[in-house]
Amino acid sequence: MLNEKNIYNPIHAKLTDVIEESSLIKTFVLIPEEEFSFKTGQFIELSVDGIGEAPFTPSSSPLITEKLEVTVMKTGYVTEIMHNLKPGGYMGIRGPYGRGYPVEKFFGKEILILGGGCGLAPIRSLLYALENVKDKLVKVILCYGSKTPADCIYKPLFDRLNNTEKFEAHRTVDKADESWSGSVGVVTSLLNKVKVNIDNSVAVVCGPPIMMKFGTIRLLEMGYRDEQIYLSMEKNMSCGLGKCGHCMMGEFFVCKDGPVFTYNEIKHNPEIWK
Amino acid sequence: MKVTIGELKNIRFFDNYSDDQLKIFIRLSSIKEFRVKEILFEQYDELSEMYVLLTGCLSMGISLAKEKRIHLSTLEEGDLFSWSAAFSPYISTAWVMATCPTKVLAIDARKLNLEFEKNCDFGFKTMAKIAQTISHRLSDTRFQLMNQLTL
Repeated sequence: MLNEKNIYNPIHAKLTDVIEESSLIKTFVLIPEEEFSFKTGQFIELSVDGIGEAPFTPSSSPLITEKLEVTVMKTGYVTEIMHNLKPGGYMGIRGPYGRGYPVEKFFGKEILILGGGCGLAPIRSLLYALENVKDKLVKVILCYGSKTPADCIYKPLFDRLNNTEKFEAHRTVDKADESWSGSVGVVTSLLNKVKVNIDNSVAVVCGPPIMMKFGTIRLLEMGYRDEQIYLSMEKNMSCGLGKCGHCMMGEFFVCKDGPVFTYNEIKHNPEIWK
Repeated sequence: MKVTIGELKNIRFFDNYSDDQLKIFIRLSSIKEFRVKEILFEQYDELSEMYVLLTGCLSMGISLAKEKRIHLSTLEEGDLFSWSAAFSPYISTAWVMATCPTKVLAIDARKLNLEFEKNCDFGFKTMAKIAQTISHRLSDTRFQLMNQLTL
């Protein structure tokens, strides 16, 4: 019994690089000191010794096990401390936890991905996973919205996807500036320009709750069925083990049963968009 | 300049119309071209034509003052706009400006309304499409509002 590993103990990971994505968002490149792998869409608890931890979905490829990238938006005390960390320091990793994207179920289909703000982090990991199996997919369409052009993260990703066979990427901003000549409007407005065979398609939605709500409504209106829509829910996950109850949504522990759900599984829950 | 049935069939807005119904649109419409930065109409202008974007790019917004344009959204090819031309008081609720060389289908809204009275199926179908456009615009506006309120 005494030899059992404490499940709450993180493994250490060396911070090798910090990439500034926007004024509030940074990507931390970490080399775990022990073997670490995850499935796309699963999340980890990322910690700073003596300060605290918070849940994040890795934004790097699940196929790369020696390196991990985690994109963090500065929203509170712990994330502010994280944003002050410099390469050479250490962070803690616990996990991976939960149920990620069922990539095998996407084989033979068109995948429409709707992302907003920092929600592009889990999506980037999914895109890496999908690129790896693109021979088994029909088409992947990414529609992404950010508040301003400066708030858009992973900017090189869009050109790369548009130059990748079977992939296309569209961007919009809520508020344009002088530098921006692309689409303006909420991310759902991009759905008018995509051509998708809904009967042979799945949709993935990840972003702030408001965006997920309006995005899901528009997808349903387009003709997607409840079970064709995959939502990546973030509900104050804390322990990651289905024990503390912080992330409960109806009968589900989001940390254990999710964070990826089909709309069909959770649509009756009144707290779905809160 | 007139559009053809074949061309209309490739435009999202005209999905599910019969050839005879598409001919009504052709009879009541013409193609108009706009240069970069040309204003199609201003907010509060009286409108007589509904437009469908054929090619190009358009910016839509509202004005707080003459010099202060707020860009709210970009219109996509196949989008219907200037729907206020079909309803009293026929006053535009936004401005629209070309941001690249643009072609639109301009439909005479008064004559279109008369067609609705003669041909109920055509009228219902078109009104449903206009309602859907307004519904999307309203939904997007709520989305934008929620974004602002929860900043």
